[in-house]
Amino acid sequence: MHKTLRHITAAPALVALMIAAPALAQDTEFSPSSMTAFVAAGAGGGTDNFTRTVQPMLEERLGTNITVINLPSASGALAHQRTAQSEPNGESLDFASSTFITSRAAGQNPIGLEQLTPVARMQSDVLTLVVNPEKYETFEDFRAYAEANPGEVVIGGTHAASVDRMAFLALNEATGFDLNFIPYDNEGAASANLLSGNIDGMFNEISAIQGYMESGEMKPVLALADERLEAYPDMPTTVENGWEFTFGNERGVFINAETDPEIIAAIEAAFEDVFNSEDYQAYAAKANLDVRSGWLGSEDYRKVLEENLAFFEELLADQ
Amino acid sequence: MIEDLIGGFGVVLQPINLLILASAVLIGFVGGALPGISGVILVVILLPVTYSMEPTGAFMLLTAIYASSVFSGLITAILYRAPGTPEAVMTALDGYPMTQKGEAGKALGVGILSSAVGGMLGTVVLIVATPLLADIALQFSSPEFFALAVLGLTVVASLGGNLLLGLIGVCIGLVIASVGLDPLTGATRFTFGSLHLMSGINLIPVIIGLFAVSEVLKRSQEGDIHLATKKFTIRIFDWPIIRRIRMTVMRSSLLGTAIGILPGIGASTAAMVAYSETVRWSKDRKSFGKGAPEGVAAPEAANNAAAMGALVPLFALGIPGSGTTAIILGAFIVHGLTPGPTFMTGNSDLIYAVFVGLLIVNILILVFSRPFIAILSKLLDVPYSVLGPVIVICCIVGTYSVQNSMMDVWLMLGFGVAGFLLEKIGFPLVSIILGVVLGPIAESELRRSLAMTRGDPSVFWTRPISAILLAIAIALVVMTVVMPLLRRRKARKDALRDA
Repeated sequence: MHKTLRHITAAPALVALMIAAPALAQDTEFSPSSMTAFVAAGAGGGTDNFTRTVQPMLEERLGTNITVINLPSASGALAHQRTAQSEPNGESLDFASSTFITSRAAGQNPIGLEQLTPVARMQSDVLTLVVNPEKYETFEDFRAYAEANPGEVVIGGTHAASVDRMAFLALNEATGFDLNFIPYDNEGAASANLLSGNIDGMFNEISAIQGYMESGEMKPVLALADERLEAYPDMPTTVENGWEFTFGNERGVFINAETDPEIIAAIEAAFEDVFNSEDYQAYAAKANLDVRSGWLGSEDYRKVLEENLAFFEELLADQ
Repeated sequence: MIEDLIGGFGVVLQPINLLILASAVLIGFVGGALPGISGVILVVILLPVTYSMEPTGAFMLLTAIYASSVFSGLITAILYRAPGTPEAVMTALDGYPMTQKGEAGKALGVGILSSAVGGMLGTVVLIVATPLLADIALQFSSPEFFALAVLGLTVVASLGGNLLLGLIGVCIGLVIASVGLDPLTGATRFTFGSLHLMSGINLIPVIIGLFAVSEVLKRSQEGDIHLATKKFTIRIFDWPIIRRIRMTVMRSSLLGTAIGILPGIGASTAAMVAYSETVRWSKDRKSFGKGAPEGVAAPEAANNAAAMGALVPLFALGIPGSGTTAIILGAFIVHGLTPGPTFMTGNSDLIYAVFVGLLIVNILILVFSRPFIAILSKLLDVPYSVLGPVIVICCIVGTYSVQNSMMDVWLMLGFGVAGFLLEKIGFPLVSIILGVVLGPIAESELRRSLAMTRGDPSVFWTRPISAILLAIAIALVVMTVVMPLLRRRKARKDALRDA
């Protein structure tokens, strides 16, 4: 059974926000003396960089001081837990990636959308199937080899509850290829094995493999998206092949679900202002995070997350 | 390359950059000396500070902090058996007994010199051979990592003391390491429903508990005695000692660099393997663990060399070789640099400035270490009834800071009590650390190798590097375990015949 995971375009969200958010934000003066940002990932990674980039921008807009605390344990579940158990006064935020939902689907994360409300999605990267061009020039080559050699093709990735593993499961299910998956401790180890030809492919964001693409040692051959990427018009997509799934790593912000909706709206508005600022867009461009627009407001982000969760749970149940 | 290097010197010798390097060394010293505050944490704390700096200065700062923190872990390891960083665990093995014998100055001198030589050799290799070595590092995949971990585990045979207890210790370490999520399937193991245990037991609470806290407990039982080493002078250039350790330092530096360039295998492993090799090459094996200068020289030369080696895959391939380099990789991205195979050619100015910076850092370590240790050693004048609790407080703060977890602090204190009790029966505590560090590598790489070949174990002996490493491991076990057994048997037979 195929499920559509299409990302809702930003337009309706923006329209909704233009009507709702400014009004609310003006009603509620939300400017606490201090705030805590829990990061559901280790220092130095994409989610941590995102948090620390946004931190001063948010401090300026809310007139507050923000302390950043990294809680990478248990795929970030501790960060979700600490946020969900915090005072519902809007002063504790949880900065998380799609791992929040994938680890929830895999049963590793006891905190769900009942305890945490999404505030905003700030980034939405497209996953691609990346191969070693010495082995496969195009996706057709990869496909021909995988179909002729069932069980022989190995895909590397990060841990078992990661977005890349979900992408692997979805691709296997939709295409009927018999691919194998090896989880490595981190992305670097998977990259090294792809460079040396020990594995056939991996799933990664284009932003993460720029250097290898320039040197011609890695090549993205399939975008897990519904439309071809503007910058890569020659790369086929899953949806155009008739495989109804799209994947990306998303990064956003969550808050204790019991928080006053007006406070949530005020924080959401601050994030939207950050997102539209020149500084933030410059960072997104520098880190190649602007392949497609990341912004989603609270309501729309929740819908996307709920759909994703159901899809991931179904994928894992079929295993 | 020569031009690039001269250009690098030109950049580094600017006053602002020299100031950056000097302050980085001091920050690294303080952080590395505090148990629990490792290079990783320092780099994380200073990362946001570097966002506003220009890239060259930023990366000189981060790499210099990394290098000097790996160095300064040895100070507290030697003086108080409280390894300041995980890399310095092996240093405590012979360094602390030297302090107890009243040779603290000598031990520190050996440690400082070996560190600086190891660090400098590692940097020279980094400058000369980064692209070449990176290609060799890529030859290492799961089967080779598994073989290397097995080789590392054979260190237990050269630790001296009771071999059976050592093996039990490794097994305890392996059990500790298996707590958490299964690295391949994500199934939970020994977590008892606790979220805190899901990501496993961190290495730092284990090390700090077993070594630092257990030692405080032991000394508290002995009453308030001052260390015999209240006053000591550090002699770095002590020629008779240098003649004695020079081969050890050279061998360990090369070994350390070689292990450091492998992605995922860090300086702690390098120190373990170098220590074991030194014992194996030594004519006087019995002296190890009781205060042999070679036992300080080997791990210190190796871990500093490995710290530099870990930068090879980072610069040449964009693949981090250790936890700290993974964070530096993140910093590259924030600065808008694109790590990867083309990074070196596109950013040679920055890279050579960092290289030259590291060379200078290793000289600064030699210069600054003596006054720094002189201040630290003033603490030895403080009665142990005051110093002991201060050490424990530092351990608690340091452990908490690793991942903001009280659970880690409780674990650390628990390991402290366990270490105290185990030492009463002469248990080699370091064998537990071996299991914790090398167990996860051995386990997951074994399973990945078999996943790669769909269950065919021949991959371990058909791939040449893995075959060689495993052969060395087997030879080591035969030499250190089986041969003495046979010899003892023969001796008994001879004795019977003579009688």
